[in-house]
Amino acid sequence: MINQHINYKEIDNIVVLHAENYINKMEGENLEKVCDAFLAKRTYKFVIDFSGTDIINSIGISILIGIIEKIKEKKGLVLFSGLKKVNHDIFDMVGLSKHIPLLKTEEEAVNRMKSGQ
Amino acid sequence: MMEKDPTVERFLFNLNTLGELGEEICSPKDFNSVIKSALYMVMGSFFASKGIIFKYDPLQKIFFPVVSKGIDNMAGITLRLSDEAIGAFVGYNKPLDLKGSSPMLSYFSPVRTEFAKFGARIVVFLIVGNELIGALSINDKFSGEGYTDYDFQLLSIMSQHLSYSLHNHSLLVKLMHKYTENKELYENLRQAYYNTIHSFAAAIDAKDSYTKDHSHRVSAYCSALAREMGWAEEDIEGIRVAGLLHDIGKLAVDKTIINKSSPLTKFELGELYSHPVVGYEILSKIKFPWESIPMMTRNHHEKVDGNGYPDKLKKSEIPIGARMMSLVDAFDAMTTNRPYRSRRSFAEAINELKNHCNEQFDTDIAHTFITAVRKEVLELNSPSIILHLHELLDITAIDKLLEHFPKT
Ligand SMILES: [Fe+2]
Repeated sequence: MINQHINYKEIDNIVVLHAENYINKMEGENLEKVCDAFLAKRTYKFVIDFSGTDIINSIGISILIGIIEKIKEKKGLVLFSGLKKVNHDIFDMVGLSKHIPLLKTEEEAVNRMKSGQ
Repeated sequence: MMEKDPTVERFLFNLNTLGELGEEICSPKDFNSVIKSALYMVMGSFFASKGIIFKYDPLQKIFFPVVSKGIDNMAGITLRLSDEAIGAFVGYNKPLDLKGSSPMLSYFSPVRTEFAKFGARIVVFLIVGNELIGALSINDKFSGEGYTDYDFQLLSIMSQHLSYSLHNHSLLVKLMHKYTENKELYENLRQAYYNTIHSFAAAIDAKDSYTKDHSHRVSAYCSALAREMGWAEEDIEGIRVAGLLHDIGKLAVDKTIINKSSPLTKFELGELYSHPVVGYEILSKIKFPWESIPMMTRNHHEKVDGNGYPDKLKKSEIPIGARMMSLVDAFDAMTTNRPYRSRRSFAEAINELKNHCNEQFDTDIAHTFITAVRKEVLELNSPSIILHLHELLDITAIDKLLEHFPKT
């Protein structure tokens, strides 16, 4: 079952997740569960949008790395969008920006995902 | 081996995590969720995708998993090490790099294949006093970078938090009330937190070739002053930490501006004057056990007559901690050597402070500061101000300075 408390939407066969600030708490694991549920339904394309995330903390990083590993395991694709400068810096530090394309807006990320189809 | 210092971003990220970890461990949440969050914080700090925490059962002499992330099928797994190995690891008490060349690895070989299954790269045994509590392992960093000495230091601090929490939990389970013992252990943990902040203060002071240890002295002076003012122990700790970090905003100011001995241009002055606000912005994002730290940093260059910066606050509008910091900051600047002049004597500095009371400084605070120095001279036990002055102070001279004090 797909979690009702997580803010996400489907555009074609792309799932857009809004990380907001709950990615920084243990409830952020629900994001991972949403990904699991979609991966099980053979949906492999994800955009995670951070425009509602003020500053990502270590729990958030840990949850994100978990999500990325899961998507990669299934040979899926994930793009990030809407990063604030402070989060961009943190993603550089973690090395995430080397692995995951970072787009300015959710729309850009979705379009890029579509054009890559 | 070439080692990069951690970047400011990494340092702040980690400092913030330490604050959150402390808060989590002291929270009334149930043990399992505390330990799980703690594991996530450790993994997030080292960008690890696999991690596991074991608890040690001293009766059965086995390790059993309490929480893991990124690893499948942990249920039912137990691990065993010889008494000799356990004794050796308790004595070692440092993170162990499984890809390293430590002689300790030979003790680890019986469980090495098991740990390889969890992708373990670094293992830390969780120890409280001389007691083995458990173990923690994480895999390679997601970033592909190696583990540095700084990482090991940070991991040690985080593991101490974890050990404390696990230990506390066992004590609770056994319904033992070893309150004092735990208090002592927590004291060690607090020390580790300060050590981290101290090393950061050193990085701030290193920016200015003439202000070596300035932040440490400001911190020491502030806490001595706060103690004299009768502050609660907890608040004294807060201003101690604030003193160490008050100039953190200078990290964003160009080194050549800070070290310039000729007069600064308008632009350069603007840059320099931005440091309290930059500091505030950095520190207000960090979760400290003391809420007042960001504002003390922001307002440490205010003057009581309203001619300071950045907010042009007047006397009582300026947070008391910032007024104290402003005074001891100026005092330290006067009593240490600078590129353009040598240090002034204690009496000269105090007279200068007195001359600027009610303009730049708070009169009551200046008076209390001298009283604190006077006490140190009289009692000589645990001095924290006169220790840094490198001159012999005479009590009658101090009494004279306390006379004819400007009225508030
Ligand atoms: Fe300053």
